[in-house]
Amino acid sequence: MLQPVDISFESLNFITLAPMLIAVVGALSILIIDLIKGGLDKTIYVMISLLFLLLDLGTLVDFAGMFKENGTMLGFFNVILIDGIAILGQLIIVVASMMFLPLALTSKRFHEYSNPEFFALFLFMVAGFQFMVSSDNLIMIFVGLETASLALYTLIAMHNRSHSFEAAVKYFTMGALAAGFFAFGSMVFYALTGSIEINQIAVILKADDYANIGYVLVGTTFLLAAFSFKLSLVPFHTWTPDVYEGSSSALASYMAIVPKIAAFVVAMRLFEFLVHSGVVWLEVMLYVIVVLTMTLANVWALVQSDVKRMLAYSSISHAGFVMAAILIGTTQANSALFLYWILFSFTNLGAFTMLWVSRQKDLPHGQNSDHPFSKFSGMVKTMPLAATMMALFMLSLAGLPPFGVFWGKVYMLSAAVSAEYTVLALIMALNSAIAAYYYLKIIVYMFMKEPENCGSVYMSNASLPLKTVIGFSAVLTVFAVILVNPLLEFITPLVYNSGF
Amino acid sequence: MLEHILSILIFFPALAALLGFVVNKDSIRVYGIAVAGMEFVLALVLWGAYDPSIAGMQFMERMDLIPAFGISYLLGIDGISLFIIILAAFFTFIGIATLPNLKNIKNLIITLLFLQMTMVGVFAALDAMIFYVFWELSLVPMLYIIGAWGGEKRIYASVKFFLYTFAGSLVMLIGMLFMAFFYFQATGVWSFSILEWYRLVLPENIQLWLFVAFFFGFAIKVPMFPFHTWLPYAHGQAPTIGSVILAAILLKMGTYAFVRFSLPLFPDASVYFMFPIAILAIIMVVYTAMVAYAQKDIKQVVAYSSVSHMGIIVLGTFALNVEGISGAVFLMIAHGVVSGALFMLVGVFYDRRHTKLMSDMGGLAHIMPHYATIFGIMMMASVGLPLTINFVGEFLCLLGFYQQSHIFTLLAGTAIIVGAIYMLAAFKKVFFGNVVHEENKNLPDVNKKELFGLIPLVMIVVWLGVYPKPVLGPINNSVESIVQLMHDKAVTQEAKSVIPDLTKKVVISETIIEEVR
Repeated sequence: MLQPVDISFESLNFITLAPMLIAVVGALSILIIDLIKGGLDKTIYVMISLLFLLLDLGTLVDFAGMFKENGTMLGFFNVILIDGIAILGQLIIVVASMMFLPLALTSKRFHEYSNPEFFALFLFMVAGFQFMVSSDNLIMIFVGLETASLALYTLIAMHNRSHSFEAAVKYFTMGALAAGFFAFGSMVFYALTGSIEINQIAVILKADDYANIGYVLVGTTFLLAAFSFKLSLVPFHTWTPDVYEGSSSALASYMAIVPKIAAFVVAMRLFEFLVHSGVVWLEVMLYVIVVLTMTLANVWALVQSDVKRMLAYSSISHAGFVMAAILIGTTQANSALFLYWILFSFTNLGAFTMLWVSRQKDLPHGQNSDHPFSKFSGMVKTMPLAATMMALFMLSLAGLPPFGVFWGKVYMLSAAVSAEYTVLALIMALNSAIAAYYYLKIIVYMFMKEPENCGSVYMSNASLPLKTVIGFSAVLTVFAVILVNPLLEFITPLVYNSGF
Repeated sequence: MLEHILSILIFFPALAALLGFVVNKDSIRVYGIAVAGMEFVLALVLWGAYDPSIAGMQFMERMDLIPAFGISYLLGIDGISLFIIILAAFFTFIGIATLPNLKNIKNLIITLLFLQMTMVGVFAALDAMIFYVFWELSLVPMLYIIGAWGGEKRIYASVKFFLYTFAGSLVMLIGMLFMAFFYFQATGVWSFSILEWYRLVLPENIQLWLFVAFFFGFAIKVPMFPFHTWLPYAHGQAPTIGSVILAAILLKMGTYAFVRFSLPLFPDASVYFMFPIAILAIIMVVYTAMVAYAQKDIKQVVAYSSVSHMGIIVLGTFALNVEGISGAVFLMIAHGVVSGALFMLVGVFYDRRHTKLMSDMGGLAHIMPHYATIFGIMMMASVGLPLTINFVGEFLCLLGFYQQSHIFTLLAGTAIIVGAIYMLAAFKKVFFGNVVHEENKNLPDVNKKELFGLIPLVMIVVWLGVYPKPVLGPINNSVESIVQLMHDKAVTQEAKSVIPDLTKKVVISETIIEEVR
């Protein structure tokens, strides 16, 4: 006879699920509202989503306090793991999502935002990413990843342009392949250790002193490939520019931040112990991937003729830069990863929003893409303020002090220097110099050439919320130096106490 | 107010630039002159309040910015930086005052005010990271000035200028991070304060690597041979105001940084690299002097001669004794005044005829006698005629290096003669002979606006040439404590013997500890 399963409700520690559940409930309530009364304006859905995300954020802030006192929390059959990096990852995901939502309030009407499903899917996606970062369990990570990815594919396709469909299908195909790699890699580790919990895997592998190093390498390679797809690391990056170009600028800015931070957190969990356990091959592979991603993406970005594609390649390069933290693997490097990503997200959001406000519904004659460089020529003469903002974001992305990304770069370089990765630090620094060239290119167009159009195009899609987002990003980018210390003091203990 | 005068000097122009966006574009010139004039007065107040008997840092300010990473907002000046700050304020002032009528002049003046913030910031910063911030930030206004108001190939020139210096600075940044890391290893706390770094004695092999990393950043900025290729382009394409500021102030950042960072932080490495750098400096002096002789464009002549004289500054700096370094710092001021004035003079002719080719000139002394006189004085100063400002600096530089090597000093000395040749040849082509071009016959002489900028420069050239003490005194005082610090810090016996022992108490580090703690 089967024994009745006897688990006390307290031991499930349901509270650990609260943040994700809030997002899920938010998504469901949007669907219910639509069922009760259809045809509502997009503004109500934006605001409802924002409110739920705000609740979500509130619980996370609470968690951060609890983590400081009690340390790591486990819950739901020990599948959910709330440690410092889970909290940090979720915070970045939720805040970045909250900054993305106002971008739906454009002055022009776009197809996707009139569907409430867009916002429901969006919240499901947020929940998916939150599940992904707050688990140690490979199956849970997989479920979270796929929930989020499927929702994201749909969101891209809802933009309703032929390019968007192409982008969504491309992303889906690549994503499916990555999912396959992930499943296969997890299987190898399960076969080796009989566990799907990353910390268990680490313990068991260490106990038998990496006897099956060959299989470990196979498993690691598959997992690395899977995450390289998600993080768009060379040579698994090919989808990125096409997908960014096909999706709306708003969604592209989102894709450059949120899915990647989720993947970084999981990569940190997975690869840190492997790097530290002296699996030299992994270190070499990571080194090669990091250097190739930074350098090649920069070189490709040099030759782009469309600003959005240029930004897509630049975001690949930034991801490569940050991936170095996983390779270096010290607490300082891992803190630098979060610091960099937070500062980068503001600047990146600002840059893509500048493209978003200049989005035309129909391309003018003789223009093949949405944002060719020539569109911005002479912008300072027609729209000085907007041009200055754009230049500000570009200089920040180039890593010019004292703007946001610079501080992330410095802290990351310092981590590399402190861990005696001198050559890597030099490569990273010189890559910043290469990158400066293509960021300067748009500044050259904006400030040093004669205008080609009347200037109204740059703000054609603008509305008060969008301008607010731009202003907010600009202020944070300029005054980043004040933010760095509080951020570091918040991030470092969370990362350190999670054992990274 | 005097406690915060450095912050005011840095941020007053920036704030004024922001407010300048509101000012109507017809009134912006007067606004710019007023702001730059106030800044210049503030700089003079700073000089007045500066106590020349103290060798250490004065007017120090400190505020924690990122304590978790040891970055603080730390300012202070000594005799070395004081005069460059005054020079920067002065040149921005007369630069804006003598601006010709250009298009988009509002943007230009606002940019110049931002540039002034970064210039003062570089010379007042005592925290390496703050220094780096201003150092890099100064590239942006210059990029815009060259790129938007420059000549035909302005975009190429401005981007080359930016990328070249940016790449060099990034290598320097790695060096700074290493330095901070070594400091962290030695003391357990992060710090980017240069004054704290002064107290750190490093083993020689580490010094060598760090010296090289810093050298890239500084040498590109100076610019030293073989990294000088961006400069002729930048000068050739830049508008007059861009060239003036670039030659007078921005290039000095590199040589100033040698004195502020390389020498006291890495005394052994400085001794180790003394002769290699001296060779580069002499190549730079002789080679660019010869290139200058071959130019057809008067602005390129001035540009190359400016590089050539920067070589003497580098040579003096790496004499590693009080005469050499004091001479180098003094020559920085002198070179700023003279080459700035020469670029302004070239601009005067360019505004009238829109050409810089010497073949389009000729016989101008008949038409524009005042112009020819001022040009003549500046040119004589540039070749180092005794009783002009450059002579004092060049003489001290060579005197300093004479104690290290007679041959090299002799070589550098001949280069000054070559300098006299190309300058006099250029002067002859431009001013003497007959007026061959009809268009030149009715050119007006220098007008009041231009005289307003040029007369004070002439006065400085003669005044400091005859009586350099008010400037040289404070410089000498601060340089002495740097040399003593280097002597005390040097670890190898060779370095100890090369760097003279002044048997003087090091004032820098003591005041510092008092002020900072």
